Amino acid sequence: MDKSTLLLAAIILAVFGASVAAGHPHWGTFTGIAIILLAAGLAAGTLPVHSQDFAEERTSPTQRISNGLITLSSAAIVAIYAAGYHRTSPAAHRFDSQIPQQRTSATIAIATPPPGANPGSAAAPPVSSSAAPAIKKNTKRPSTPSRKAAPSSASDSAGSSSAPSPASLTNPPIEAAAAPAGATKSAYKDGVYLGWGSCRHGDIEASVTIQDGKIALVAISQCLTRYSCGWIAPKIPGAGLPDLPSQVVERQGPKVDYVSGATESSYAFADAVVAALSKATE
Amino acid sequence: MHLPMQSSQHYPKPQSNEVVRTVALMGTFVTVHVVGRVAGYKGETERTERERAVDRALDWFYKIEECCTRFEAGSEVMRLATRVGVPVPVSTILFEAVQFALAVAEATEGAFDPTVGYAMESLGFNREYRTGQTIRTALDSNFPVSYRDVRLDADSQTITLHRPLILDLGAVAKGLAVDLAARELQSFENFAINAGGDLYLGGCSPSGGPWSIGIRHPRNDGELIDSIRVSNRAVCTSGDYEKRAANEEQGHHILDPHTGTSANGVASVTVIARTAMLADALATAAFVLGSSDGIQLFHRLGVDGLIISPTLELYATRGFRECH
Repeated sequence: MDKSTLLLAAIILAVFGASVAAGHPHWGTFTGIAIILLAAGLAAGTLPVHSQDFAEERTSPTQRISNGLITLSSAAIVAIYAAGYHRTSPAAHRFDSQIPQQRTSATIAIATPPPGANPGSAAAPPVSSSAAPAIKKNTKRPSTPSRKAAPSSASDSAGSSSAPSPASLTNPPIEAAAAPAGATKSAYKDGVYLGWGSCRHGDIEASVTIQDGKIALVAISQCLTRYSCGWIAPKIPGAGLPDLPSQVVERQGPKVDYVSGATESSYAFADAVVAALSKATE
Repeated sequence: MHLPMQSSQHYPKPQSNEVVRTVALMGTFVTVHVVGRVAGYKGETERTERERAVDRALDWFYKIEECCTRFEAGSEVMRLATRVGVPVPVSTILFEAVQFALAVAEATEGAFDPTVGYAMESLGFNREYRTGQTIRTALDSNFPVSYRDVRLDADSQTITLHRPLILDLGAVAKGLAVDLAARELQSFENFAINAGGDLYLGGCSPSGGPWSIGIRHPRNDGELIDSIRVSNRAVCTSGDYEKRAANEEQGHHILDPHTGTSANGVASVTVIARTAMLADALATAAFVLGSSDGIQLFHRLGVDGLIISPTLELYATRGFRECH
């Protein structure tokens, strides 16, 4: 029985109770009042009790699940952070020892578009991120000798499973120094190698640092993907959302701090790395 | 080093109190951006301390990738796949990641399911981004698998696979790494972490006030379809434009666990949550559920989000609209 039917029954009962009370002076008053009370109880039952059930259904389990997942994710972070601090400190030391190496290749600002990085200065941070992936419209492709050769070798090796397999699959490229599998020989020669990869949005140049025959670091040295200048999206009619938020318009141009949603082609990057690695095996 | 010189005349120089570092990790680009100084240090020491904090934050990405990647036969999660039916002791990272993934699977009734790893590998999502090498796992998996085939024991910190399956922790692991990096940078009030569009924004942006985050237009590269302002929150966007499969024209990286093919009901999903691992997992789940059920899921779980249909209709929770 739904709420409206119950409510209707309660009203009919109340009217009936009132007429009984009025029409029968002797026993009617008592019975009539009893019927009215019953009707009131019924009406009361239809409204608040049910809405309370409804509210419970809506909020209580919701809160429980939601809080549960939020709590669980927070607990996971705390647990790993606590456990990781001791257990992973050797890894952190290894990382420290790589730092001088990294500073020359890894401080490259990938997300920032200007061609190149500042290879020399270890301490100098790269370009500010307020210049985020947005500003790519002005970048010009430099004429790098490696560029022409790279995409073909990249597509060759990337397209087939017969890609150069210089190390066994069990050889983790990062922190490979820690790998127990000391038996795996590497065919890589130490150095820093560059390679290009292409996708329909433009080109990406990867730099791969080989240290002790292992891949020590992979970074983007140049990112020339073309993004259109239309950072202010057209308004979508009837979407119920405002046009691009006023601050973007006010600040004239691509002034968001970051963009959510992958903005680079990972496959172009993989091609670039393959191209760079193929040089390391020559 | 033969890197071209930087031509930064068009770009603002970073303030002296900022550090921005980007490396290639987890098949994408990870940027850590710290604004402000470390209290209690001065001058060069302070700068070194700041750089070290950024190193430690990035180090979490290495550690989690090492453990959770599907693209390395030797990773912990892939070694787990070779042992079916027995409890396998695992690291805290893997245990917590799987535990969380299973909880989300439970809460979304399998719309998010971490056991799609083998299906993804079969569809061509099997290439290690650094080396370009592909992985092919020999797995006797003729029967359908689901998250119910994975059992955890918290006391002994073991995982038992009841059927041959590969766990795909992509969504959870990247989020987890972002969260741990954020935890590492807690001593800074203002910082941002960007892992291929999975973000955590702490405090304020360099220009003051909440960080301004653009939501990528799912069809027009380089355009924003919306933007929001957030502080101390994670923002994750999953789009059908990401990681198209090598051997499928229309395939993208999010599978409907029930059909084993790419989910096609929506173009992109953005979730704002307290942790990136929750935001990323729920973005994936909503992607599979579609716009209507996805928004309901957000309401039910108390997160905010935006769902964009393939015809570019926008559906948002009220809280999301309030972030403008």
